[in-house]
Amino acid sequence: MLRFEGAVKHFGALTALDGCTFVARPGRLTGFLGPNGAGKTTAMRAVFGLVTLDAGTVTWRGDPIRAAGRSRFGYMPEERGLYPRMHVREQLLYLGELCGRPAADVGRVADRWLEQLGLSSRADARVDELSHGNQQRVQLIAALVNQPDVLVLDEPFAGLDPLAMDAMGGLLEELATTGVTVLFSSHQLDLVEDLCHDVVILDHGRVVLAGELEELRAASTQRVVDIRFRGREPRWGELRHVQVRESSDGHVRLSVDRAQHLQALLAQLHGSDEVVSFSYQPPTLSDLFTRAVAS
Amino acid sequence: MTGWGQGWLVARREIRERSRTRGFRVSLVLMVVVVVALVALPGLFRSGDTTKTVGVVGTTPLTFTQLLVAQGDAADTGIEVYGFDALPTGQEALRDHQVDVLVVNTRTLQWRDKTDPSLQTLITTAIHVSVVQQRAAAAGIDSATTAELLAPVPVSNTAIGAVAGRSAGDATAAALMTMALMAAIVIYGNLVLTGVVEEKSTRVVEVLLARVPARALLAGKVVGIGLLGFFQLAVTALAAFVASIPGDSVDLPAVSGGVLAWVVAWFLLGYALYAMMYGALGSLASRTEDAQNVAGPVSYVMIAGYWASLFAISQDPEGLWSRLLSLFPATAPLAMPGRIALGATTWWEPLVAVALILAAIAGLVMVAGRVYGNAILHSGATLKLRDAWRASQGSARGATSTQVEKVTQMLSTPQASRILAVAAIVLGVLTSVVIFALTRDVVWSLVPLLLTIGAVRGLRHRAGRHG
Repeated sequence: MLRFEGAVKHFGALTALDGCTFVARPGRLTGFLGPNGAGKTTAMRAVFGLVTLDAGTVTWRGDPIRAAGRSRFGYMPEERGLYPRMHVREQLLYLGELCGRPAADVGRVADRWLEQLGLSSRADARVDELSHGNQQRVQLIAALVNQPDVLVLDEPFAGLDPLAMDAMGGLLEELATTGVTVLFSSHQLDLVEDLCHDVVILDHGRVVLAGELEELRAASTQRVVDIRFRGREPRWGELRHVQVRESSDGHVRLSVDRAQHLQALLAQLHGSDEVVSFSYQPPTLSDLFTRAVAS
Repeated sequence: MTGWGQGWLVARREIRERSRTRGFRVSLVLMVVVVVALVALPGLFRSGDTTKTVGVVGTTPLTFTQLLVAQGDAADTGIEVYGFDALPTGQEALRDHQVDVLVVNTRTLQWRDKTDPSLQTLITTAIHVSVVQQRAAAAGIDSATTAELLAPVPVSNTAIGAVAGRSAGDATAAALMTMALMAAIVIYGNLVLTGVVEEKSTRVVEVLLARVPARALLAGKVVGIGLLGFFQLAVTALAAFVASIPGDSVDLPAVSGGVLAWVVAWFLLGYALYAMMYGALGSLASRTEDAQNVAGPVSYVMIAGYWASLFAISQDPEGLWSRLLSLFPATAPLAMPGRIALGATTWWEPLVAVALILAAIAGLVMVAGRVYGNAILHSGATLKLRDAWRASQGSARGATSTQVEKVTQMLSTPQASRILAVAAIVLGVLTSVVIFALTRDVVWSLVPLLLTIGAVRGLRHRAGRHG
């Protein structure tokens, strides 16, 4: 697994990483979240030696990552970039060979991905002759052309249309099922919630929440209760551990402490004429994120 | 994979991509054509121009024609003599370029426009001899004796040039070689500069640096582009060498195999030195339009070094200034090859110069590698050299200004580049004046001025087009 252990990085007076510790596991998609400036890009760059840590370590399978070990790592930076005048296939071969892979292997992998992403007919075109969407696809293949065991993607969904987002999500899931460790950053929490097994939330260079998404949700002391009803509104205020978060005609959303007995909550409903629907759920990723970053 | 292996992959990409461009192929052919023309053509022109035609009209001693041809033979000049019945017919032939000169009554020489001093000497000598023979015969001296006494004495002319064993033509050849060397260093150095900035501005550099150490990337780029430049210069030098073989009439010891090999070697050294500077400075700029501003000081230093070397060597290739300039690493590639071509060095001077520049290159590799590594991932405004040296990526706020930083900053403003451009042109004018004062040769003294104006306009145009 990919492990960050107490990673610290200062840029002059600015602290980008402040004792950042988390793991990303093989065969799983790990969503890397945090507000802008939280240190996500710095952490991802540290995996590739693009940033030298002031303290702490990044390890892969228990060993510090060296240049040679990165030959099976794939990286897509936030700032996309390719040689605009170089031909697509040649560029992919070059970038693959730079990882230390034999040219023949790289060629086979590149051709497979070009075909899978519908770019076979453009393999000999110059990169700047491609559409924006196709350039993004080439950029992704550039990260995959060395058959990585670890894939680090900085905002892979930024700038994609809904169809391309679906395709990218499917592709990442597929890679994870083949055992690849996938770490990607995103601001689209609903998308991360759908895709990811694990999440890491970073704020001010520190991990404020990390783990398996379902466990994090279940472990939360909060539950969200949505009730639709007809008639008189029950008096929630008499209950302890209950906050009314939204209340409109015939609908109420409550934030309930896990310690609150469900019976007492249901008892309050007796007064109303009819309960149309009732749901009791752990908080969403968006809820977790907001609470974690706010605290 | 090792950094070396990756560096070679980077170099191979540079060679492959750049050798495909039309610009490279055109310049390769063009440089060969120009050099061959410069070496071979003077020889061809000279050999075709050694037969003179002389028209004769009016009273002429019987022996005159015979004497004139004998004088011509002694001076390695073929002479054809044509007799004319009347002056107008002869003058018409002169005007129609049928004869080079018209001898009237063996007393007057008529020319179309300018006199030809060597032909004039041959004819007047022949006239003198024929008259002396007539007078001797009149005084009763036997004609065989006079002929023996007055047999032509061959006198040859040689320009010995400023240095023993080298001619004035060699000085020109050395100056041209230095100019080609300078052009090659500037052109290929600038390819490194624009290549570094291109990788930074297109952001491909982050993709690359996730795979390759910064130093291997810079070294590979410098080596790849350098090999391309080496190839072009070696081909050109080979063409010059081959072109100089059949030309017996062009006696240029400066264009020998040994000297040409030195020129190519000095290209590699000079290129390595300046390419490292260009690469490091290029990494400070984030946009192509900033590249020339950042690297401007290096270009100006090189241009100034070039004119200083040209001037010092044309004045005295064995003088103190020539020696200093050819040993100092930044100017050695521009001064030493010219001195070697002129045979004006002692045996140890080139070796010391090579040792010095190698030391300078080694130092620059360390400095440039550090600056490049720190600056290449920095986006946004152009970095300052000192910050790039100190910072480990990102901004180094709070760093205090030093002289070096101030100078670098000062040199990269538009005002400063205007001042430097004016200074370069003034330097060009001064060099022109000095060369004219020393050589009285209008064409050669205009070259520095025109080249300076061209270089400054080129640099400013490139900077201005994006700015």
